[in-house]
Amino acid sequence: MYYPFWDTSLSYGMLMAVISILHVFISHFAIGGGLYLVITETFARKRNDQAMLDYLQRLSKFFLLVTLVLGALSGVAIWFIIGLLNPSATEVLIHHFVWAWAIEWTFFVIEIAAAIVYYYGWQRMSARDHLAIGWVYFGAAWLSLFVINGIITFMLTPGAWTATGNIWDGFFNPTFWPSLFYRTGICVLLAGLYAMVVAARSKDVSLKARTARRNAAFGLIGLAIVVPTFFWYWQAIPGDLIANAQETMPATMRTIWESYLYIVLLVLVLILYGLVMPKRLNMVVAVVLMAAGLGYFGSFEFFRESVRKPYVITDYMYGNTLEVAKTAEYREGGYLAGIEFRTGDDGADLFRHVCRHCHTLDGYKPLLPAFEGVDREFIASMVRGSEAMKGNMPPFMGSSGEALMIGEYLHGRTDNRHLSEIYDVEGVQLGQKVYEVRCGRCHEIGGYNDKSESLIGLDDEDYLDLLDMAGEFADEMPDFTGDDEERAALIEFLKTIGKEQGGAL
Amino acid sequence: MNLPDYNFLSTPLWLITILQILTLTLHLTAMNFLVGGIIVVLWGRLTDRWQTPAVQSLARMLPTATAATITLGVAPLLFVQLVYPRHVYSASIVSAWFWLMIPVAVAVAYYLFYGASFAKNALKRPTLFYTIAGICLLYVSFVYSSVFSMAEHPADVKELYASSQSGLVINSNLSDYVFRWLHILLAAPVVGGFAAGLIGRDDPTAFSVGKKLLLWGMIGTSVFGLFYLLTLGDILAPFMRSPGIWILVPGILLAFAGLHFYFKRRFVPSGLALLASVLAMVTSRHYLRLIHLYYDPRALTIAMPSWTVTPQWSVFVLFLILIVIAILALIWLLRMVFSNRGASQGE
Repeated sequence: MYYPFWDTSLSYGMLMAVISILHVFISHFAIGGGLYLVITETFARKRNDQAMLDYLQRLSKFFLLVTLVLGALSGVAIWFIIGLLNPSATEVLIHHFVWAWAIEWTFFVIEIAAAIVYYYGWQRMSARDHLAIGWVYFGAAWLSLFVINGIITFMLTPGAWTATGNIWDGFFNPTFWPSLFYRTGICVLLAGLYAMVVAARSKDVSLKARTARRNAAFGLIGLAIVVPTFFWYWQAIPGDLIANAQETMPATMRTIWESYLYIVLLVLVLILYGLVMPKRLNMVVAVVLMAAGLGYFGSFEFFRESVRKPYVITDYMYGNTLEVAKTAEYREGGYLAGIEFRTGDDGADLFRHVCRHCHTLDGYKPLLPAFEGVDREFIASMVRGSEAMKGNMPPFMGSSGEALMIGEYLHGRTDNRHLSEIYDVEGVQLGQKVYEVRCGRCHEIGGYNDKSESLIGLDDEDYLDLLDMAGEFADEMPDFTGDDEERAALIEFLKTIGKEQGGAL
Repeated sequence: MNLPDYNFLSTPLWLITILQILTLTLHLTAMNFLVGGIIVVLWGRLTDRWQTPAVQSLARMLPTATAATITLGVAPLLFVQLVYPRHVYSASIVSAWFWLMIPVAVAVAYYLFYGASFAKNALKRPTLFYTIAGICLLYVSFVYSSVFSMAEHPADVKELYASSQSGLVINSNLSDYVFRWLHILLAAPVVGGFAAGLIGRDDPTAFSVGKKLLLWGMIGTSVFGLFYLLTLGDILAPFMRSPGIWILVPGILLAFAGLHFYFKRRFVPSGLALLASVLAMVTSRHYLRLIHLYYDPRALTIAMPSWTVTPQWSVFVLFLILIVIAILALIWLLRMVFSNRGASQGE
């Protein structure tokens, strides 16, 4: 809340994802590719395999253009985007890890310089010197990962740091080592897969077969590292985070299950086209492999980013930059007093700082459709009870008045017509819409916090009582503020749920 | 729950400031070399001197110079949040889209340099490549000037933000930074001219062109620097009383010393004088920024915000060791390049 808020129509998640996904793919490939180049060059030189050396030189040219330009600049772009989207979290990280980042920079300097000299050295250097530079490149790139890994894992599992504040506790946190080995495996895997793409273009069948075998071995070794270290990583994540993800983030968990399919696909295709019939490797197969590899790694990154919700730094700072340590301050004084950059529209300012980090009005995770046809008091109640909603949202710690301002802001932008008019429905269909808008955000039928079993055996009077007393069940439950038509329709719909659950109705 | 505070510095501020100034000096020097290099290369194209060895050498060096500029720019970008806390980030958010396009513009320029470099003489339109790359870098320098200038005026940042939160706001106070931008920009032909003369020292034409660029660049940057000083208004008097002026004056003298040594074909002292001049300019600019942000007109002093220092000496010492290793590694890599010239593959 110390910074202005960039209110772009694009979602923050999307902006972050586009840049960070590009960078993590390239940066991991840059490390594994360095290892691939020096190991393969060593073998090629021992066997005086000129065709292989030519292939490596071609590979290193593309490697230079991808890693040096796009890798370095997407890394800079990450700096830019985190400063724009979450300057407060960036500030926390810089204050604690400035020298870790400075150390990473020293490796980055060596890495970039070595990459340039390695590429231009193909025709100008002795084999020994060239290989030495290749190893320096790989070493510096991997050490760069070593440092960044400490900061990334800190955000998920700060471990003892929350109690001690000691940088080493934060850096060597519970997921540091498993993540480091896992990412190293990813580097090796991606290098092998990328080399497959280059090999697939080769017109020399013999060279293609030799390189495909080597590349497949790289890919399989990468997978052999990745699979067990992922489970190690999983074990190192605190149980409450995993349990929360399992309960509240079906998409995240589904992604992890789906990622196992990528592994199976990768293993099968690598064995088939790398070891069994490498001469038949073609561009389609290579691209499928690359896509599967990136899909797998993307799944992991999505999981890592999601599992720490509602935090951006677990147990320290929420995704909307509110600080856990200032809970009492927020509860006592509200949010507005702490918002440094104001626009004159308090509702808008509150909405931006409280909700807008994760939600848009009508784009990604939109809030306008979520509040169609409801009144501002209901929206305010939902804001106040946001912690209970989905189970992975930050708590609302501001005042009731501030929640009402957010309600007013959203209500002024939503379609305020009656739900029956918006969707042209009535009866049970209208009831279903009412349920979706007023109940389903917290009670997903067949999903999170499903209460449909509690409806079994209720009669009309019970349903009326249920709606009349809705706001009294829990602090975060809103009153039912719909009109009589909506009330009746909702009851009709609830009765159908009761029936599906085997109720007596 | 008592969670760790983050409102602290892990080393004293002066130490971080020194590193910020040093790394920014290196970054600006590399950037001036890059933009100056484009000027020389374009000159080579437009005057039919494309094949001149100095021009060819500079054209080949541009991709590496870009890498150096980017790499050297990362460190000051890291330290800036500690030296001028929150100000630069806040200003960048107001101009978010323009700010975010900086890496994109640099990527375009970078690929154009590589495209021109790999295509060598086969390229039909290198002039177009270098011109577009130059425009991209002009964009980058302008946005940097705009955002950093805005950051010096927290009240303006708030006002601009209140007017629009879209991230499509550019610093409208052009008079505040246009001379400063031109002042920095015209340092590029100075460094480019120096580089042309150094690389083509045995070529009278290259030396002469370098001399002209250096001289006119120096005149231009001095004039706009003076204009910039005159636009400071109320800030000028405190600046004249601050250590900034005592650093600026030797900086100007060093710049002219660099020119003098160049004319005498003494490239090492000339280069060192120019580098020291950039260092002095960056340092005096730092003081100017502090005055903008923290000057207390009643006390007639710069009232810096106080920081709690909770040292992380172990990590800092590790950084110092590694920076020494990095410098040694760079020297070793350069030696590799020069000692292996002429060696063939597969030896």
